[in-house]
Amino acid sequence: MTSITIETVSKSYGAMPVLKGLDIDIRDGEFVSFLGPSGCGKSTLLFCIAGIEAISAGRILFDGQDVSRLAPRDRNIALVFQDYALYPHMAVRDNLAFPLRQQKLGPDVVRRQVDWAAGLLGLEALLDRMPAELSGGQRQRVAVGRAIVRNPAALLMDEPLSNLDASLRVRTRTEIKRLQRELRTTVAFVTHDQEEAMVLSDRVAVMNAGVLQQFAEPMTIYRQPANLFVAGFIGSPQMNFLPGDGAPGGHGAGRLIGVRPFDLVPAGGGPGDGFALTGELALIEPAGPVHYLDVDVGGRMVKATCVDPSGLQPGAALTLTAPRHTLHLFDASSGLRLAS
Amino acid sequence: MSVSDDIGTPRGASIVRSPAALRKRDGRVGRVPLFAYAAVAPTLLIVLAVVGVPLAYSLYLSLHRTNPITKTFIYVGFDNYASLAGNADFAAALGRTAYFAAFSVAGTTVLGLAMALLLNERFFGRGVLRSMVLVPWAMAPVSVGVLWSFIYAGNFGALTGLLNDLGLGGWALPWLGDGFRALNLVALTNVWSQAPLTALMLLAGLQSMPGSLHKAAMLDGAGPVARFFAITLPWLKPNLLFISIIATINSLMAFDILWIMTRGGPGAATTVLSWLGYLTSFQFLRFGQGAAILYCLTALSFVLAIAYFAILGPRRSRPGARPVPPTVDGGVPGARTLAPMAVLPPPRVRPRLPRPVALGLARGGFAIAVLALVLWSALPVLALILMSLTPASDLIRTPATVVPSGLTLQNFQTVLMPSSSGGFSTSVQAQRVPLALINSIVVGACVSLVCIVLGTFAGYAFARHGRSRFFAVSLWGLLLTRMTPGLTLVLPFFIIYRGFGLIDTRTGLIIAYCSFLLPLSAWMMRSYFEGVPVSLDRAALIDGCSRVRMMWSVLLPVVRPGVIAAAIFCFLASWNEFLFALILTSTPNAQTIPVVISGFLSQAQFYEYGPMFAASVLSILPPVLVAFFFQRFLVQGALSGAVKG
Ligand SMILES: Nc1ncnc2c1ncn2[C@@H]1O[C@H](COP(=O)(O)OP(=O)(O)OP(=O)(O)O)[C@@H](O)[C@H]1O
Ligand SMILES: [Mg+2]
Repeated sequence: MTSITIETVSKSYGAMPVLKGLDIDIRDGEFVSFLGPSGCGKSTLLFCIAGIEAISAGRILFDGQDVSRLAPRDRNIALVFQDYALYPHMAVRDNLAFPLRQQKLGPDVVRRQVDWAAGLLGLEALLDRMPAELSGGQRQRVAVGRAIVRNPAALLMDEPLSNLDASLRVRTRTEIKRLQRELRTTVAFVTHDQEEAMVLSDRVAVMNAGVLQQFAEPMTIYRQPANLFVAGFIGSPQMNFLPGDGAPGGHGAGRLIGVRPFDLVPAGGGPGDGFALTGELALIEPAGPVHYLDVDVGGRMVKATCVDPSGLQPGAALTLTAPRHTLHLFDASSGLRLAS
Repeated sequence: MSVSDDIGTPRGASIVRSPAALRKRDGRVGRVPLFAYAAVAPTLLIVLAVVGVPLAYSLYLSLHRTNPITKTFIYVGFDNYASLAGNADFAAALGRTAYFAAFSVAGTTVLGLAMALLLNERFFGRGVLRSMVLVPWAMAPVSVGVLWSFIYAGNFGALTGLLNDLGLGGWALPWLGDGFRALNLVALTNVWSQAPLTALMLLAGLQSMPGSLHKAAMLDGAGPVARFFAITLPWLKPNLLFISIIATINSLMAFDILWIMTRGGPGAATTVLSWLGYLTSFQFLRFGQGAAILYCLTALSFVLAIAYFAILGPRRSRPGARPVPPTVDGGVPGARTLAPMAVLPPPRVRPRLPRPVALGLARGGFAIAVLALVLWSALPVLALILMSLTPASDLIRTPATVVPSGLTLQNFQTVLMPSSSGGFSTSVQAQRVPLALINSIVVGACVSLVCIVLGTFAGYAFARHGRSRFFAVSLWGLLLTRMTPGLTLVLPFFIIYRGFGLIDTRTGLIIAYCSFLLPLSAWMMRSYFEGVPVSLDRAALIDGCSRVRMMWSVLLPVVRPGVIAAAIFCFLASWNEFLFALILTSTPNAQTIPVVISGFLSQAQFYEYGPMFAASVLSILPPVLVAFFFQRFLVQGALSGAVKG
């Protein structure tokens, strides 16, 4: 319900720069994920948006209004913390009511709004419990409830799912998406988990060491990674990188060719038009729907996939091919993507 | 962490075992190992023998009327207690005790909370300030008493002197001359020396608070004041429970500073129950009645402790709320009719000062608070140091002034090198200082050594087997011994020690102190071991360690900070102890420094103030060094919660 504009924001703790000139523009009602390795400054960025940390340089605008100098409570922003930060001495009901009471709303409005949030998140049966008496998933829902109950202009979430087990995580993320659709709230979501980011977001911001690497739709990031870092960080298993001069096809020195394992298949098994590599099959790893093949190409391990490994023998020579349009070309020195 | 690297024994050592050995091992699974009993045995035996017997004896005394001359005991049942009921002195002393305790507990809690909140902020010099704040608590109550009695002393005291120097001489009063004022001033002094303990324990509580709670509340719209009441105070509630119990016991049992500052006077204005019990027992030699008075004090602390539990104790769960088992998180709300969203008014726009102004005001206020804390904690101590460097004759000048006529090391020379102090005739008392310092160091070192060795083993057993009945009961038994006032025990100690020829020996003091401090060190170590995962023990045992070896090579390095904290607390407590040292020693052979300092007062020679302050400065030197170098460990020790004294 508000747009967030981050203009050349920098932040340092003491002499250590953590955020370096970030420019991000989040549209009204958009779901944006911040994705990056641990310690790259994702939480710090959220705290800066929320106003808990002061920024060292740049501006933050909500709906075009500079809020950089506003106190957190004047920004009308909600944040779900990684450890949920439920008030341990308050029952769930009071946790939900706390932000409303701070706004001095009447008890009637508070009760109605708490009931609304509890209904939305299925917390009705838990309202009289203490946080210590809840399971991890329940705590997570209470934390989300407390965040949305006062109808904030934007909802920030700092790895809200990282404490949940795998199946609950998948279920909860669907719920978060549904909730966001219903409320049409602007959401900034921090995660380690690229799949989570891809599934949830309208756009993903990939960060590394306090610098924005790419900010685009999930499939754009996957299909056209802007640089080597994004190409290597997004997609699992990781993209294979091959020097351009050694590889067939003559892409030239000073370039790197990137090819995802899912695009690289044994010759004859796929549309083997352009790119081909030959090496010695070292290992076959079954991974459910596909098998991963580790192939030794001139002393370099390359990962490929195949659906049906029958007929493949470790130790035997194997030719791999990939369609030409799936190749990614990077400048080896700058790391930037080159138009192929 | 690789456990096996720390251990010299090869991994295979435990694998080859005879079938018999294996069977024996099987039989022990799930039971408390013998090692645990062996680990607590020394502590329990010492405490039982050294505290249990005097405790029983003093209970026995309180049921008898004794005649010290004929040495006859007449059983009188509860007469000693009953006679207190109609006793006007007792009733008055009870009232004063209540006032003194209420003043002290309220003062230490409010002040300690303020200190803890300040010291929890990040600012330049926080470490130094934390140490500085601890000094009044770390120094002996005797030194505190000496310092403040001189500050309040009538014509020539430092406070009067300061007022004179500021041209406010007209405001000077005979500070301790008026009864009610004296009671208040002694209580204030008690607050001065006890508030740091409260601050220390609250600081430990504040540090365990997740930072995200305050951030969340900030975003939820709560300002600093609302956050303090809605988040910080409830978080500290369990700590406050413990702290108010300890502060109450400490102020009910306060004795040392009364002995030094007012001796119950003027008149009976500062005669609280502990002083009345002391007088009755040791001046009027009515041991039965004295013991009865002191047991009333014990009963009072129990009752208050229970009352605190009722008020501040863990909240009982609401009826019907508890038995719901955690539901499976399947209840995804789907096609359910939802309560409609309430229409919220737009967020309030608060009238605010511009942020730079608000920040400036906050910084200024904070700086003022820090400065006030520095003055409150350090100024009196600096005054003590200044007085020790002042020529003795300055200290009794009238009209009083705090500006010394010069600085001299004469006072220190007098107490440290009695023979070489030239033309001055060194008093008997001053000659005792060097030996007293040595005695204090020897006793303190031995006590802390014994306490950490035995306390570590006992703490380990209590931590790992606290569920089993034997350990649970004996742990509470140990803690109860810490609730009985030393005053009730000191007389039986005296009688028993005389029988064993332990009067006037350092050994005697060491035994007595160990028996008080072992429960403390065992409790602290228990808390520390509870933070060490049991898997570490198991890994060590699987790697072929014996249990003793496991303690030594694996666990001890892990709990070393806890051991250091326990050693510091035991050393300070024994260095500062006054009552037992006073009663159980009569010659300089074993007298510790607090006793010698108090001797200066009994000797009542005015010109001895200089050497007395020099001795006091020497006596606070180890506590001050500890506060400055081991402050981190003291906070850690306070985390274990059970610090008294
Ligand atoms: N209060 C602080 N003082 C000093 N440095 C800090 C502080 N908070 C964070 N940092 C540093 O800032 C950097 C970024 O931290 P941040 O918490 O934003 O990382 P993150 O991307 O959220 O990592 P994670 O995924 O592990 O949560 C880290 O190197 C961290 O050590
Ligand atoms: Mg983080």
